[in-house]
Amino acid sequence: VLRAAFADVRARRGRALLAAVGVAAAAVMAGTAITVSYGLGTGFDRAARRADLPDVIARFDPQPVAEVDRRVRALPNVRAWSYRDEGLGFVIRAGGHATSKGAVEVVLGRPRGYAIVGGRDLTACGCDAIVERGLARNWRLSPGSQLWLEGFGMLRVRGVAVAPDNVAYPLSSVARVWITEAALRRAYGQPFREANVLQIWTRDRAQVAPMLVQAREASYGLYNLRILTRSGVRILIDRAAGLVVGLLVAFSVVALAAATTMLAASAHADVHRRLATIGVQRALGFRPREVAARHALAAALVAAPAAAIGIALGALVAYGPSARLLEAINELAPGVALAWPLGCAFLAIVAVVTAASAVPAWRAASKPPAAILRGGDIAPSGSRPELTAGGGGLAALGVRLIAARRARTLAVVAVLGTSVAVVLLMLGLASVVDRLAHDPLVLGKRYQLQLPMPAGGTAAVRHVPGVARAAPRYTVEAADSFDLGETMKLVAYPGDHQPFESAPLAAGRRVAGPVEAEVGAGLADALGLAPGATLAALLPNGRELRFRVVGVVRALDNDGRVAFVRSGRLLRADPAIAPLLVVRLTPGADVGAVRRQLTGATGTRPTRPGAATPRTGGFLSILAALLRVVAVVNGLICLYVVVQVLSLTARERRPAVALLRALGAGRGEIATVFAGAALAVAIPGALVGAVLEREVLAPAVSRLAGDYVSVPLATAPADIAVVAIGVAVLAAVAATWSSRRSAREPIVAGLREE
Amino acid sequence: VTGPSTVWALLVAVVAIAAGCASSGTPPGSTRSGTWLDRNGNGVLERGPGQPLLDRTDLAPRARPVRTLATFAQLTDAHVVDAQSPARVPFLDRFGPPFQSTFRPQEALTGQVLAATVRSLNQMPLDAVVETGDLVDNDQANEYSEALAVLRGGVVRPDSGARGYEGVQAESSGDPLYYRPGVDAPRHPGLLRQAERPFRSPGLRAPWFPVVGNHEVLVQGIVGPTTRTDAIATGSSRVVGLAPGVSLPAQSQLSDSYVDRLLARGLPGPALRTTPDPRRRELAATAAVRRLIAASGHGRMTGGLLDYSFDIGPSVRGIVLDANRRTFGSTGIIRARQLDWLRTQLSAAGNRWVFVFTHQPLVGCQGGQQALALLDRDPRVVAAIAGHTHRNSIVPRRSPAGGYWLVTSASLIDYPQQARAFQLVQTAGGGIALETWMVDHGSGNGLARTSLALSFLDWQGGRPAGFAGSPRDRNVRLFLRR
Repeated sequence: VLRAAFADVRARRGRALLAAVGVAAAAVMAGTAITVSYGLGTGFDRAARRADLPDVIARFDPQPVAEVDRRVRALPNVRAWSYRDEGLGFVIRAGGHATSKGAVEVVLGRPRGYAIVGGRDLTACGCDAIVERGLARNWRLSPGSQLWLEGFGMLRVRGVAVAPDNVAYPLSSVARVWITEAALRRAYGQPFREANVLQIWTRDRAQVAPMLVQAREASYGLYNLRILTRSGVRILIDRAAGLVVGLLVAFSVVALAAATTMLAASAHADVHRRLATIGVQRALGFRPREVAARHALAAALVAAPAAAIGIALGALVAYGPSARLLEAINELAPGVALAWPLGCAFLAIVAVVTAASAVPAWRAASKPPAAILRGGDIAPSGSRPELTAGGGGLAALGVRLIAARRARTLAVVAVLGTSVAVVLLMLGLASVVDRLAHDPLVLGKRYQLQLPMPAGGTAAVRHVPGVARAAPRYTVEAADSFDLGETMKLVAYPGDHQPFESAPLAAGRRVAGPVEAEVGAGLADALGLAPGATLAALLPNGRELRFRVVGVVRALDNDGRVAFVRSGRLLRADPAIAPLLVVRLTPGADVGAVRRQLTGATGTRPTRPGAATPRTGGFLSILAALLRVVAVVNGLICLYVVVQVLSLTARERRPAVALLRALGAGRGEIATVFAGAALAVAIPGALVGAVLEREVLAPAVSRLAGDYVSVPLATAPADIAVVAIGVAVLAAVAATWSSRRSAREPIVAGLREE
Repeated sequence: VTGPSTVWALLVAVVAIAAGCASSGTPPGSTRSGTWLDRNGNGVLERGPGQPLLDRTDLAPRARPVRTLATFAQLTDAHVVDAQSPARVPFLDRFGPPFQSTFRPQEALTGQVLAATVRSLNQMPLDAVVETGDLVDNDQANEYSEALAVLRGGVVRPDSGARGYEGVQAESSGDPLYYRPGVDAPRHPGLLRQAERPFRSPGLRAPWFPVVGNHEVLVQGIVGPTTRTDAIATGSSRVVGLAPGVSLPAQSQLSDSYVDRLLARGLPGPALRTTPDPRRRELAATAAVRRLIAASGHGRMTGGLLDYSFDIGPSVRGIVLDANRRTFGSTGIIRARQLDWLRTQLSAAGNRWVFVFTHQPLVGCQGGQQALALLDRDPRVVAAIAGHTHRNSIVPRRSPAGGYWLVTSASLIDYPQQARAFQLVQTAGGGIALETWMVDHGSGNGLARTSLALSFLDWQGGRPAGFAGSPRDRNVRLFLRR
């Protein structure tokens, strides 16, 4: 059987090569998808494990170590702890580079919480430093390099480290350097007495929450306390880059599903092409099992090397960029660990192709040889459906040609639909990523302009053309009423804040009354708030306001330390609070024009609210470009699918096409027939894709993307139109290609089959 | 045919076997058969193996126990608390020592823990139970009602004020420095509601003997009740913090007059409204002691103090000393007249073995050294047993008469929430040994177990403070030379 399978492959070299190209293309996609998704999906855990990232990181105003030590010792579930004295705003110079945003972390005790990825850890000489990998790469520093640190002088770079508790320099504007207590003593003649960072490692990560409750109770007197858990660190990273990471992982999952569908359809189509051969084999006495085995083996022989090459190629192509992406967010590339999922993908692809060949071959071979040779099919009817007479021109004939195979048409529409959905998703993602850098709408705000003017000006603002809504927005920095040093931003509107703020609700409900508040997740974590709890806020003028928490929202603003309330009580408590008038524009309004008119109407120049991730602009632009490239690759997959189905239809309908040509149809008319056939699958495919993206993929990916933002991924009608036009163009290309192939065949050959 | 002599012989055999079992048996709750441990160090208690008796030969060599002379238990510092009382000062907890006991995450469950301990003790064949003080937390009438109902048996009603829980642990509490079971980890939604529901206690089967603690006669265990403190306890304002002008005094400055002056200016800080309840009235010391005497059926006031003695079986005499101040201060005091009375009681004990019970350990009491000097001279004194420290501790006291043991035991409110069992045994060669082991409380309706788990997590509680003591402070056989 094996020899026969080899012979089959050799006999159809061209076809086998084409199939191999198809398998390889799908495998490239799978390899890319797995490399990206595995690398990014497991990057944080890998880096956290390697760096022994603390389970809890607490930052506070400098405190004597002994005082903090007394409290930490009393906490349950603590395995180890260490301290740092973290200073910001240091000047660092090395290798012709310089920054004034250096973070110097004086370490005291072990574990350190970082992984040395080059060189060695700090010594006790006080003359060396560890630099973070992002800084080392960017400034081309390596162990042995010299570095000048403000206040500490020249230090030798002893090692390069990764600490996944923040994104890397320059994605984060802060460049981190670690030094020892000895360096502090050498520079200032003082020992390490006060710390402002505490790192805690627990014995049981599942029991972190009870420990944190005790830590909160023990925290009295530690001012400006900010506690971050390992999962909190992950959310922080997600805020900077994890949104995009989540989207890429989600894409990879979708792309894998599309590749699998495509492979199965391709293998299935190949069996269709070879029905005559199967009939002859059966007539020669081959049993159905042998026929199926030959097909399976032949398919495996083609699929195995193609899949191996494709997966390797995909992995090679994607590994470098995904590793750089991981570096940017202080995570580690998977290395050899990637071999396992890639190996599994290889086996899965070969299995899918083999099964997709064997099953239809076995079904076809199970019929009597005469029936197969007469034009048998794997469909139960055993005969090719007849074309019915119908109206319309040549394009309608093409539609009827392809629609005669309902099951196949549905399968092709499904594949096309999936691919179109992925394309739409990628475009949606790209525009979200673009907007992340500039557009506050993505980041929890629904207003586009703001004016510093009294609430009395609201009516005048509302009358300006292009303004949909306007309201005074009051913000005040408040503190918790329990002298804990927790600060929060109270955001107040006279009425419902939802038309202007889009922080999604994580728990509870929206504010409906003057004593109610929605609090950001960051504030809820810091003060242990949940729906039903009381938020007691101390205003700058000393007055205290108490609100009943009715909801927790995923707000990005001020690290989520924000509370949305109604402004009535706030203004009674402090009438001096001045508002900003915030303006929401009507859809499609020209921001520049509205701004000019507002300036004219109010005499105040409106400004745009700031986006939350201005530093990541360049990074996000690259990602948006990457996503668009992925969309184009998916477009090519669509083309491949349409060509495949048209090729199959042309093969099946040779007599009909030959008859048309005998009746005088030229290349243009034949192309019209194929164009009709192509559109018969392309248009439903595009529609299915649009629905699939809007109703299934976009909501699912939005959920995957991140907890802190509401990601509007539903594609705009304009994007859908662009994709529909793109699909039509692809259909035209496929039709032209198929008609040219048909035209090269002698008319008599086709007529002989009738 | 079974004659009377045969029946008698069988009975004797059964009693002998029972006595043997009592010597080495492991009734439910006994930590000799199993106890709660944090095996992984992760803050979660699990059942672990038992802790056998360790022989302590500090005072006398090891000898084989041959006969049980008496078996009794000590339960101490239950601190049954009205967690909703406006007289409480939980906001001081955040300032740390010496205020660390003003709030505990498990404080709403003290009645249930006491009831669960009663269940455990009822499983043991006890001649007596000595309650060594601080049965209640704040000298309030309703706290006495709850605690004594648990010991007496019957329906216990922990709730006060309005129906349901009104206090700092409510979900609606905005102060993150209190553990709120409805929202904080480990989450126990509905715990406070359950804690305030009436429950049934079986009551102690063995006779019990009260010892007065500072929390039984002083508000918060420190200040004598006054009309001002009583007005706060029965009033409708719950202070939630200190006013900006009020600073914490140094411990040396704290006195009853300081407190009175502070309260004379009104409430010392911002307050929230709470439902007033006259049952929260504070009891004068005499009334409080009378309640204990009436409920237990034991004890006698001697000059306004609960000094009395009692028998534990034919061979053992218990002497109770009331070492509490009546106006201010939690530290103990042994007055001169009490020393005379003690001398008389020791003399009256004759050949019986003597145990001395106080709330505050004699070692730390004013006048305590004189009391100990009296005990040092008496060869029949076996141990001086106390509570107050919330800590398991067993220390030998060497004396010309042969020495005896100073024992303090864990409280029922802080981890490890254990009672202590004692068994005085005669050893081969005519000596004696005091076997003692800790007793875990039964899980009861589940709330007591939750209380234990929470007490273990408490960062200012018995776990970090090491209240469980070392193995030498828990299950031991203490030999005495006689």
